[in-house]
Amino acid sequence: MIRIVSFLMLLCVITCSAQHFSSRTFIDTRIVNGQSVETNASGIAKFIISHRFGRLNTGAYELFGLDESTIRIGLDYGVTDFLTVGLGRSSFQKTYDGFAKVRWLRQSHGERQFPFTVSSFHSTAINTLRDPFPQKETEFSERVAYVHQLLIARKVNDDLSIQLMPSFVHRNLVIGEDSEHDILSLGGAVRYQVAKHWALSAEYYHDVLDRLDPNRFNPIALGVEIETRGHVFQFQFGNARGMIENYFIAETAGDVTAGDIHFGFNITRDFKLRGRKYQ
Amino acid sequence: MRAVVTITLLGLALISGRMNKPNMEILGETTLMGLRQVLGEELPRHYRSDTDSTMVRMGYDLVHEGRTQKDGRQTTYISRFYSCTSCHNVEREDADLTRIDPDSRLEWAIANDLRYLPASTFWGVVNRTQWYNDDYEQKYGSLVDAARNDLVESMQLCAQECSQGRMMEDWEVESMLHYFSTLEVELEDLGISGADAEVLRYGKLSNEGKLGILDSYFLPRSPAHVGEVPADKKAGYGIEGRAGKGKAVYELGCQSCHQAGGESDLVLDDSKKTFRWLKRNITKDDRYSLYEIIRKGTYAEYGHREYMPFYTLEKLSNQQVEDLRAYIEKMAD
Repeated sequence: MIRIVSFLMLLCVITCSAQHFSSRTFIDTRIVNGQSVETNASGIAKFIISHRFGRLNTGAYELFGLDESTIRIGLDYGVTDFLTVGLGRSSFQKTYDGFAKVRWLRQSHGERQFPFTVSSFHSTAINTLRDPFPQKETEFSERVAYVHQLLIARKVNDDLSIQLMPSFVHRNLVIGEDSEHDILSLGGAVRYQVAKHWALSAEYYHDVLDRLDPNRFNPIALGVEIETRGHVFQFQFGNARGMIENYFIAETAGDVTAGDIHFGFNITRDFKLRGRKYQ
Repeated sequence: MRAVVTITLLGLALISGRMNKPNMEILGETTLMGLRQVLGEELPRHYRSDTDSTMVRMGYDLVHEGRTQKDGRQTTYISRFYSCTSCHNVEREDADLTRIDPDSRLEWAIANDLRYLPASTFWGVVNRTQWYNDDYEQKYGSLVDAARNDLVESMQLCAQECSQGRMMEDWEVESMLHYFSTLEVELEDLGISGADAEVLRYGKLSNEGKLGILDSYFLPRSPAHVGEVPADKKAGYGIEGRAGKGKAVYELGCQSCHQAGGESDLVLDDSKKTFRWLKRNITKDDRYSLYEIIRKGTYAEYGHREYMPFYTLEKLSNQQVEDLRAYIEKMAD
């Protein structure tokens, strides 16, 4: 038994030593609205406060949307370096969400190369509005929506990272008779490091099967990311108000061409809740 | 399972280390501590001459990872922020054990692929007689009084202050002492001359005299002196930097903590933007200037306990700071 274990350890040491992983493809676990391939390091709790304001085109009376704020408070935790779980609550639709994100593969160079980092994201959201669908009595199960995403990213160079996000959204109940329960969307994101501590990012999700409701739009957002000691600030302009995937992928109400742009931001702060092996 | 793997690796490392080394024996002893005892010196209370393999395994885990398995259960981390090996190597760090020479220590680190860290190595820690020496008093005040002459006290000070963790339990300290005792200096490491070996073996010199000979081969304490920040940061220390040496300081020193996933939030990679940012911070007149950070470090703050320890002159000379500056400036341009 000891010989087998020693052999396996030796094999692992040999193979691992020939492989160098890319790190920090994205600085944070979010890009603009959506998730990046990054997971929390083991033992790290990430506290996230997100705000999305009203539309800029509401004018000065609404202070260009600032009078109308929604918030999500969330806490993510790195169970291991490759598994993060999180909980959050949004004032938008009074929604609770929980998720798990698993990093399956890492981009690597050296003798053993792999071109991408691959993670998957799985979330459940529960709408707790008193009457989410006034036309009918709402069962608990009808309040639930699910999202599954595959996140495939590549750090192209020190400055540029790109990501694809094939996404599946399922809503147990939809309002319109013609509305689809399932939305299949393909997201794309890019991040460019402008200086040591700040970067530009952009994100877009495209409804692949053209199943969005007529008054719903593909979400697009541009962001500026600033990294400080222990915090990451992500400021953004986009047409979505929802801060969780089932809302911004499937239920974005802002029409960019009509100027329906929302300002918003995420602020994240990491806390080390337990130690870990550093070397 | 983890215990089996650790013991296996530890065993292999110890065996391979011993196999490479011809055994020098004087008066029936192969270790510095053993010979000193034969010469009439009392063994220090921190030294474990009869090491227990389970304790050594637990000590190894605690030093390298900050926790271990005890009674089939995972213990809690000593610190959330650091492990002992964040700042200490466990290997020999100097070719010449009788003098402090940062340049030769760096050469040794390059040759042996060691990290270039701010604290003294645990190799030979049980052979030393003082810890938290000299100017550490400026940082830790009267806390060093108990620690200076007592390895156990210095370990507790390190656990609670330096690594911002908790007080260690007795069994943890004991395990670490067993592990540290396996890192003791052997006579072979000292490079004792043939003439001195003869005197030690057969000479009519008193035991005190023979102990004196042994003292001349090994520094019993690591001096620690705080360096000044240059008054004019643009001029620096007025020494020409060697970018090649600076590269080694950056890679083996800075990046050991400032790597992605490392102890620090601030990642110092090899990108142009990082070097340009560092270059801008060299001459900046604030506490994040390269000179200030290296010579004064930062302090643990409420809500952000991680901090950077200062580098003493013995661990990073003024010349090496200028070497680092030269490398950063070269990479930024």
